[in-house]
Amino acid sequence: MTTLLLLGTSLALLQNGLVVGAILFSLGLVGILSRRNLIVMFLSAELMLQGISVSLVAWSRYHGDFGGHVLVIFVLSVAACEAAIALVFVLQAFTRTGRLDSSAWQSLRETTLDRSIDHEIPSLDTSMPSFPRLTPAGRSPDTDEQAGMQREHV
Amino acid sequence: MTPSFLLVLVPLLPLLAAIATVIAGRRLGARAHLPAVVGIAAAAVVALSLLVVTARSRGNAETPRPIDVVAPLWQWATVEDAYAPASDSHAAVPGTAVGEDAYSARPFSISIALRLDPLTATMLVIITSVGLLVAIYSIGYMRDDPGYPRFFALVAMFVFSMSMLVAASNFLLVYVFWEAVGACSYLLIGFWFQKPEAAKAAKKAFLVNRIGDFGLAVGVFLLWLTYGTLDFHDTFSPDGTILPGILGQTRLADVSGYVGGIVGTAICLLLLLAACGKSAQLPLHVWLPDAMEGPTPASALIHAATMVTAGVYLVARSAPLFMACPGALVTVSIIGTTTALVAALIGTVQNDLKRVLAYSTISQLGYMFACLGTGTLLGFTAAIFHLLTHAFFKALLFLGAGSVMHSMGGVIDMRRFGGLRKLMPITATTFLIGSLALAGIAPFAGFFSKDEILASLHSKGWPDVHHSAENEHHAMIPDLPSTRSRSGAMHDVGYRGVSGDNDHSNSKKASALVGLDALNQPAVWKTLFWMALVTAGLTAFYTFRAVFMTFTGPLRIPDEAGDHAHESPSVMTTPLLILAIPATLIGFVLFTTEGLAHFLAATPSFTAPSIVETATASVFHWDLAIQGTLAAALGIVIAAVGHLGRRSDGPQLERWLGPIRPFLENRMFIDQLYAAVIVKPIEAVAFLAAIFDRSFIDRSVRFFAHLPLALGSVVRRLQSGVLQRYALAGVIGVLAIIVFLAWRL
Repeated sequence: MTTLLLLGTSLALLQNGLVVGAILFSLGLVGILSRRNLIVMFLSAELMLQGISVSLVAWSRYHGDFGGHVLVIFVLSVAACEAAIALVFVLQAFTRTGRLDSSAWQSLRETTLDRSIDHEIPSLDTSMPSFPRLTPAGRSPDTDEQAGMQREHV
Repeated sequence: MTPSFLLVLVPLLPLLAAIATVIAGRRLGARAHLPAVVGIAAAAVVALSLLVVTARSRGNAETPRPIDVVAPLWQWATVEDAYAPASDSHAAVPGTAVGEDAYSARPFSISIALRLDPLTATMLVIITSVGLLVAIYSIGYMRDDPGYPRFFALVAMFVFSMSMLVAASNFLLVYVFWEAVGACSYLLIGFWFQKPEAAKAAKKAFLVNRIGDFGLAVGVFLLWLTYGTLDFHDTFSPDGTILPGILGQTRLADVSGYVGGIVGTAICLLLLLAACGKSAQLPLHVWLPDAMEGPTPASALIHAATMVTAGVYLVARSAPLFMACPGALVTVSIIGTTTALVAALIGTVQNDLKRVLAYSTISQLGYMFACLGTGTLLGFTAAIFHLLTHAFFKALLFLGAGSVMHSMGGVIDMRRFGGLRKLMPITATTFLIGSLALAGIAPFAGFFSKDEILASLHSKGWPDVHHSAENEHHAMIPDLPSTRSRSGAMHDVGYRGVSGDNDHSNSKKASALVGLDALNQPAVWKTLFWMALVTAGLTAFYTFRAVFMTFTGPLRIPDEAGDHAHESPSVMTTPLLILAIPATLIGFVLFTTEGLAHFLAATPSFTAPSIVETATASVFHWDLAIQGTLAAALGIVIAAVGHLGRRSDGPQLERWLGPIRPFLENRMFIDQLYAAVIVKPIEAVAFLAAIFDRSFIDRSVRFFAHLPLALGSVVRRLQSGVLQRYALAGVIGVLAIIVFLAWRL
């Protein structure tokens, strides 16, 4: 155990951990700032959280104590609870507006201001996509009428 | 039951009635008059018993000794060492106190106390008995009025306030109830507040009275500074020494108990100003004719019989104070007589029956002031005597006018009806009795009281004709102030502080007083007497002009009366009949028995040595009686010639008057004078103030109101409702903090 920790306290490992954490954090930040889907925004926030967690673990390893690990376990459990609550909110928001688009909540702005994005929220394409059709081949299986009748009694 | 308990009961019963009416009035509906009538009736019975009690305890008729029963209720407020001037700043004190402890600290205490004496007992009987009859009359007069309970609550409230005013034993308490009766008067004048004239008249009465109230307030301040107390009665300080009250027996027994000079005159003139406001004397009389907008019973009770006599009461009550200031006394007489003459002149051309009576009231109150100012015992008792008879016959006249108005559908313009004696015989007969009393025809009440007034004026104008004891007094009066300031050296403590030279300040004081005291000449009194005599003739004239125009000639009824013109219901005519009895008899009874004069002479205020020495044996002055009756008869004859049976070609006399008539019809332009001198300038100032208010004050306030809005409109842009922008703002904020921290580190 001690060897493992000693091995892990190299500066290179810390740098790698921090870089990964920073990348995760930045991805999450970019996601939050650029996406409008509430679930994706929430995922991005989780991503930022995990980026922080990675860097915590990296520091923890570098310093050779378990404090950071413990904290990360806490963060994970809290994030799980928070995810449950946040998803409920998202669900409620969805039932209110029928959309997951955060700009559907623009009406909460000051009344004197204009809509700043999407004067018209793009409507969803509700038409069914055209799926490729397979040419029918072989024959359809026999239907066992009795079996069907029997099944009704089950 | 002790007299002091009964004394408390008199104001208490109407107060309870007023409270009961306020609480249960709506529920009682058409019976809302019950608490007021019962309460005032009980108070009247108690007041009569008080009169008997007071009369019984009277001493020998020849040498009156003061009667008073003090009922202290509680101490309202006490301020220890309220008046503790710095030892070296006597100059700051305008007055001087009587007694050695002039500049020692003394407490300021307001004791709620009532005092019963003959004057109070008389006033209480007048107030409650007239109040009772008016309340009964109002049952008929105010029937079906939407404000029925309110009216009776106000009448009961008024009777309470007025009884407290005359029973109070403290100048501050007098001031409080002085205001209270004013408020009741305001509310009753503006009883029909939907009517703009009534609301305006109420406001006018209140504002004009304010001038007088200001005088009373300042007068009370000066009284306290001068005498160190506001109580009428003597009180005991905690260490057992007597604190002489202003009208207490200790001070009354002291020959130099009252301050003359500038301070004394100022106090008296301020009290006179108050009396002029309340009693509608020149130049503050303008509110009373307009006050006739109120319900007629209220006019009868408040603006004829009781409240307007508060001024007479105040001057009579403060008689010893006035006796120390001859200049103030003669001013009282001059104002009174002038008012009597002017109001009578204006009354001759009024066409509104109630207005005629209103001017008559002003004129009769002027009579009372005229004889108060003579400063003799006869004058003071004559004033109260006239107050008493006037209360009955003028209430009778007003209620009669109300009866006419009631059956004429609210029309009160005498030109529009006539010959009503056939239609309403009881009203006509009682009105005639009241008119005879007012005009001063022999057996009726007004004759005797008016005769005493003329006699008191005559005794000042022709001192040598009268009693020799009076002569001495008259000879003494002109140099009274200097005598006082020499004998009462104590009075000058304050002035010594001013100049440090006693003689110098005295001579200054004397020279300042010459102005008013110089008026105290027989020639002036002679003029006043002749004015009063002319007024007597005018009184008879306008009274009978009203009688002839209303009740004689062919029957004429205005359209407003409809077909229900009839004699008033018995609930209204019964008070008229009852009031006709005192209007006929009371003067004769009280004059021949001299009951009232002897009774009143035991009032503490009238037992000051300065007043007692003016007492004369009561003589019936045949020459004056003949002169007065002749003047009255002449007035009636002129009225008859001018108005009797001359309907077709219009009243003769109004053509005789010629160019004076518009002058009199416009009430001598006194209202217009007030409008030009006082109202217009105030309106101009108000206009400027309004401009300043709108352009400066309002704008600066609005600026501060708009400031947050302007800031908000800038910051508001941040709340766009776009989630990403909020997040971006958060990111930028965090970055800014990091950069800041990095830079700091």
